[in-house]
Amino acid sequence: MTRADPTLDLIANAALAGAAVLLVARPRLIARVARSPLLPTTRDVAVAAARLIAPPAPPPLHWRVAKVRELARLVGKYSPARLRSTRDIVKKAARRLNGSTALLAFLVLADSAVEHYRGSFANRAMYTPLAIAALTLAGSVFGLADARPNRHAVRDGIYAVAAVTGLAGLCFHAYNILKRPGGLSWLNLFYAAPIGAPFALTLAGLLGRGAERVRDVLPRRRPTILGMPAGRTLAAVSAVGLAGTVGEAGLLHFRGAFQDPAMVLPVTVPPVAAALLGAAALRPTLKTNRLARRWLKLTALLGMGGVGFHIFGVARNMGGWRNWSQNVLNGPPLPAPPSFTGLALAGLAALSLIEDETDA
Amino acid sequence: MSDNPEHTPRALDGRAPDVLRPGGWVPMRQYDEDDAVDFAIVGTGAGGGTLACKLAEYGFSVVALDAGPYWRPLDDFASDEHHQAKLYWTDERIVDGDNPLQLGANNSGKSVGGSTVHFAMVSLRFRPEWFKARSKLGYGVDWPLDWREMWRYYAEVENALKISGPVNYPWGPKRPRYPYRAHEVNAAGLVLAEGAEALGIAWSPTPLATVSAPRGRSPPCVYRGMCVIGCSTNAKQSVLITWLPRALKAGAEIRDLAMVGRVEHDKSGRVTGVRYHRRGRWRFQRAKNVVVAGYSIETPRLLLNSASSRYPDGLANSSGLVGKNLMVQANQAVWGIMEREIRAYKGPPSLAITEHWNYTDTGKDFFGGYAYMSQGPLPLVWSGVESSERGLWGQPLIDEMERYNHQVGLKIVGELMPQERNRVTLADERDQYGLPISRVTYSYCDNDKRLIAHSLAFMRQALEAAGATEIWDETDDTCHLNGTARMGDDPKTSVVNADCRSWDIPNLWICDGSVFPTVGGVNPSLTIQAIACRTADRIKALAARNEL
Repeated sequence: MTRADPTLDLIANAALAGAAVLLVARPRLIARVARSPLLPTTRDVAVAAARLIAPPAPPPLHWRVAKVRELARLVGKYSPARLRSTRDIVKKAARRLNGSTALLAFLVLADSAVEHYRGSFANRAMYTPLAIAALTLAGSVFGLADARPNRHAVRDGIYAVAAVTGLAGLCFHAYNILKRPGGLSWLNLFYAAPIGAPFALTLAGLLGRGAERVRDVLPRRRPTILGMPAGRTLAAVSAVGLAGTVGEAGLLHFRGAFQDPAMVLPVTVPPVAAALLGAAALRPTLKTNRLARRWLKLTALLGMGGVGFHIFGVARNMGGWRNWSQNVLNGPPLPAPPSFTGLALAGLAALSLIEDETDA
Repeated sequence: MSDNPEHTPRALDGRAPDVLRPGGWVPMRQYDEDDAVDFAIVGTGAGGGTLACKLAEYGFSVVALDAGPYWRPLDDFASDEHHQAKLYWTDERIVDGDNPLQLGANNSGKSVGGSTVHFAMVSLRFRPEWFKARSKLGYGVDWPLDWREMWRYYAEVENALKISGPVNYPWGPKRPRYPYRAHEVNAAGLVLAEGAEALGIAWSPTPLATVSAPRGRSPPCVYRGMCVIGCSTNAKQSVLITWLPRALKAGAEIRDLAMVGRVEHDKSGRVTGVRYHRRGRWRFQRAKNVVVAGYSIETPRLLLNSASSRYPDGLANSSGLVGKNLMVQANQAVWGIMEREIRAYKGPPSLAITEHWNYTDTGKDFFGGYAYMSQGPLPLVWSGVESSERGLWGQPLIDEMERYNHQVGLKIVGELMPQERNRVTLADERDQYGLPISRVTYSYCDNDKRLIAHSLAFMRQALEAAGATEIWDETDDTCHLNGTARMGDDPKTSVVNADCRSWDIPNLWICDGSVFPTVGGVNPSLTIQAIACRTADRIKALAARNEL
């Protein structure tokens, strides 16, 4: 069942367009995306139309046998105690999405509070992300605690506002970069408003909207977003988010000259996770899903470990933690690394939806 | 025992100060004065300190002597312009000529680590053509060095100092990426940028020897802006905290508060060691080779003071050029007022630069080139400029100082021509060690004056274009010292060869800014260190062939 949601459509399409731009240098990947079920091709449309007119013949026997075997294998794999109904899996995934949204919102709140304080709130608009991220956090915690299955209009509204606020923040930050002497230069990318940071709020909004969509399905139905199975759409969004976060970490760690070898980790581990998650969104297979799951878990751990590295990084500034009031502003941002955790957890939730979808 | 490093040497009893820890020590190898070490090096600045490190790492026994104290920046440096004058060489000297030089802050240092302890950290490569200034650009003399070889040594030094520079440098041939990223440009630098963009010329964040990210025990720069009175956080990558700790680790001995008064030689004419004053008396260190690295005044002074019956005109002076061709660099500025607050003192003083007039040969009525950079004078220096250059005093000076946060300026480092009449000679007066002091004679030539006039007019345009008002010229300032023992291909017209080895005495070397035949329009420290690295490699190669 698909609900019309033009806002989400618009935002998700913008995210996908962003991914396409990122992949411009990789035509083969673009080709794969173009072939993917995420973007309906003319052929898909034609086939769908043909099916409307003349329903297809039942699948051949050997296909059905294979499906039954697959199902039997999966049933064997999971003990009866762990085998949940679709409903349970979906409900759990939805709340996990609320959880990762809560984490992302908290990080945006902390990061924008520190960084915009550092920028002396020179523009009053700089208070906006604090307010919206706080609302998003509150909504997500509510969602996490809310055992009722249905979506909640207030939460849904907050998430939409968060997504749009993030996009507006991107524009503000881009303007901040471009207005400086040198325009779009390395120097301004390093030291002007961080170009990728507001994207985290958009991601929180998108994933939150996703969580609400996933919650709001009738029993025995599988959730869909944009006409696609929800798991695959959310996996795609998480993969794009991970890729963007990798870009941000790469830029800032380049600014830090990769002076510590550990600074290479966030540009090596999460990209693999993002690629596998993307692959799972495009063409889920048992093997891809399993690999993606592992790398996502690793990415989630790395995000938490990153805080430790950044605590150490703050200590390496003049005066160390004794001079915390300066060095927390000056040193590596403490709330940055767990963005990977938030997105990896969202990716894991999406994967469980995908597995549920493909197990059918 | 007092721990004032200006009165009591610190590098004693098998240990030297750990410059990166408060009150810290590191072990130091020590040599007996009667054992002839492979190299006795006079001076531990950009030339001598770098060479001491490289030679020790190549396995030579090295004793490096410096007249200055062995500071621990974390313990010994105050945020006080007056107090920090202790870093400058302010011993008695006589200056004369048409344009007598002001010696001290921006052209000398009396510290282990030399003037790099208080330099502005601007780390620029020469324009390749400058190494062949005579044949390619028609002025000065050619260097005996090839720019492509120097490009490799520049890279070595940039990596050793972890220079923080732009990702893409707008001028000159391709260079490897700077090891660390450029610093954020302060408001004063952005004024340079706006002016340059308005006039359609390129600008860049300045490559600086202060780290923009942690490096070992150096924290990233915190933009205190006290760089030129000594960095008290160790973000600055001076010789004191880069090459010298490496030198100690490799087994070099460093002797602080050790003033070398004379280089001695034997009957065959080869040098045998250095006579130096330390801990209240004169001493003698034997050495198989002596390297003089005292910079452009103390190097010729030592060579001239070492005159003997065999070398009546001083050591290495058969060409008569020791002490001649002293070069400074033009350091004129334009200043103005911005309506918005600038606070130019924030961060390193020269965060933005344009080398446009170093790399452009048209539209000039002079030989040579200049770079100009944004400026961040500290308050005492600034009040000095306001009173000496503009004659402000009393209430007018106080009123002007109230606008300190709004003043902004551009300042050149300009290439001035080598002239034999600009020279270092010995005066009759003697200093606290009983040594004849130097007389420093300096006059601009017409080309120098045309360069200065061009730069002032151009920088005025740039400052106007950036929106500054009440613009005025500071016409009387110079910086850096070079020449007085130039390198070359011909013993008749130079003091040392390309390897910094003196033509007259094969075991006497000169390795500092004195060897520059021309000076270029960039700060010299990176080139001095690159030459030192090359000299070390050449010495290693010569030693392997038994040609030392």
